[in-house]
Amino acid sequence: MGAPKSCIPLPAAFVILLALGHAQNRTTAQIPRMPDGKPNFTGLWEALGTADWDIRDHSSAPGPFFQLGATGAEPAGQGIVEDGEIPYTPAAAKKQQENYQNRLKLDPEVKCYMPGIPRANYMPFPFQIIQSNKDIAFAYEYATANRVVNMGKFKEGAVDTWMGTSNGHWEGDTLVVDVSSLNGNSWYDRAGNFQTEDTHVVERFTLGDADHINYEATIEDKNIYTRPWKISTVFYRRKEKNAQLNEFKCVEYAEQLIYGDLVKK
Amino acid sequence: MQQRFWGALALAAGLACAAAPVFAQAAKVAPAAKTWTQPKTPWGDPDLQGTWTSDDCIGTPLNRPVNLGDRLYYTEQELAQRESRLEKQRETDSEEFVANNQRVGTGPPAHWGERARRPCKQTSLVVEPANGRTPDLLPEAKARPVPEGAGNNNPKADSYTDFSWYIRCITRGVTGSILPVIYGNGQQIVQAKGYVTILQEMVHEARVIPLDGRPHESSNIRSYMGDARGHWEGNTLVVETTNFLGNRTGIGLNGGGTPTSDALKLVERFTRVGPNEMRYEVTVDDPKTYVAPFKIAFPLTQEPGYRNFEYACHEGNYAMFDSLSGARAKEKAAAEAAAKKGN
Repeated sequence: MGAPKSCIPLPAAFVILLALGHAQNRTTAQIPRMPDGKPNFTGLWEALGTADWDIRDHSSAPGPFFQLGATGAEPAGQGIVEDGEIPYTPAAAKKQQENYQNRLKLDPEVKCYMPGIPRANYMPFPFQIIQSNKDIAFAYEYATANRVVNMGKFKEGAVDTWMGTSNGHWEGDTLVVDVSSLNGNSWYDRAGNFQTEDTHVVERFTLGDADHINYEATIEDKNIYTRPWKISTVFYRRKEKNAQLNEFKCVEYAEQLIYGDLVKK
Repeated sequence: MQQRFWGALALAAGLACAAAPVFAQAAKVAPAAKTWTQPKTPWGDPDLQGTWTSDDCIGTPLNRPVNLGDRLYYTEQELAQRESRLEKQRETDSEEFVANNQRVGTGPPAHWGERARRPCKQTSLVVEPANGRTPDLLPEAKARPVPEGAGNNNPKADSYTDFSWYIRCITRGVTGSILPVIYGNGQQIVQAKGYVTILQEMVHEARVIPLDGRPHESSNIRSYMGDARGHWEGNTLVVETTNFLGNRTGIGLNGGGTPTSDALKLVERFTRVGPNEMRYEVTVDDPKTYVAPFKIAFPLTQEPGYRNFEYACHEGNYAMFDSLSGARAKEKAAAEAAAKKGN
């Protein structure tokens, strides 16, 4: 697990002591650490819950195709939005409603498009974190989406992209990831909640113990939200002895939907 | 957005201008490489991290031209000729506008692609057998249909399934994702204790390779990119990949050529030989496709300023819409012309 305390460089040890000072009332959980004392997030993780259906509190609902019966229905779930509601402007609230009405046409997940951030993190698929002594890679099972969090000098994105540009730094034992240069085409869920190309996401990853990551993201976008808002959820370590990231190249499953009209009859 | 766009252009221009001096510099510092020792990660593995590219062997054919026989390397004189050709290419690429007399095409200007920075020493990417050519196909493999690649200007376009897995933006397979092509050759390696991850620029693959000696997945779990397992042999990363889906990509550029079978096994070897150079080898063993195993090898280099860009292929696959709708429009026009004739 962690390196012996004597191996932790002095500044890191100091930070740990500070963190311990703040957590006096809690038992300090053992978490895996890198040789330099930083928390080590390497592993296979997955969110539970139903946030990919709707990041807000929601009741269960029928699915769009009766042929799928109960297997296509939406389960009820507690949302991951703090205070329950997304602070949309009136125009944005209307757009979210339209998105929901047309979700089978418009939801990027239906078409196997890259899910963007934060959605990639809480889809019903695992993701692998590979934390090096330099940068930190995230490999998502869904659509083989991935991103590398730059832990070096802050780099602005050269172009807007689906997965954005991720720059990370440490605040004590918390990994803080600033995500910008998103292309604005991503949704948060299957309910039409959406972002724009100016959406700025700041994620915070903290190991609650060896097998849980407490995840928070603050989301800002003056175009469509009246104030910054926050989501929070938990990622669980996949512990099955044969658990590993698999491949979900879903383009094939979306081609008839996307190109079917153009196929020779 | 717009500001960012111009920023990106400026960045691209800066890189193009920097290319020549960087090459000269690399040539000068080459002798120092003798004193280079393989750096290690803090947990003791050989450190291969960085963004590597196969750009230097862009244009080198997979199969050696027959007239070159068993000769794997170019002579010094041939290399000098190739170097001067690259020099000329750099000059042409630095011109911002196409010449007045240039044929109008539908492709992007030449300088949008990547270029070799130094001439590839090899005459072919296949290095074994000695003739540098892929072994013969078995009869059962010859019968497998090869989907339409990018080279055909008049492809069969009845359905999206007529096109290659690359044109469909699904994958180029393991070898197709590293063999040098006109762009998108980036291979970013990120290591953790127990894992090596190779993030391949095109089509945004992330190969997560466990190093803990666990067995391969059940043979019932199959995929385009297969199931990879790695280990270290000295400073060389050895990766064995099995559990492929059969009849998908081939071993050609961009995953083209005769599709391989579900019996395919790849053994890759990554050996860093200097601060900015890595030796890459892959042995292809597919007893249901080729009469014998064979080996492909080429260098990977780290280049200043090279970084992987997000290759959102499927998300912007207008080529597929255009190919299919163009084919339907042609059929409609032909049917109308035939009806007119009939009247």
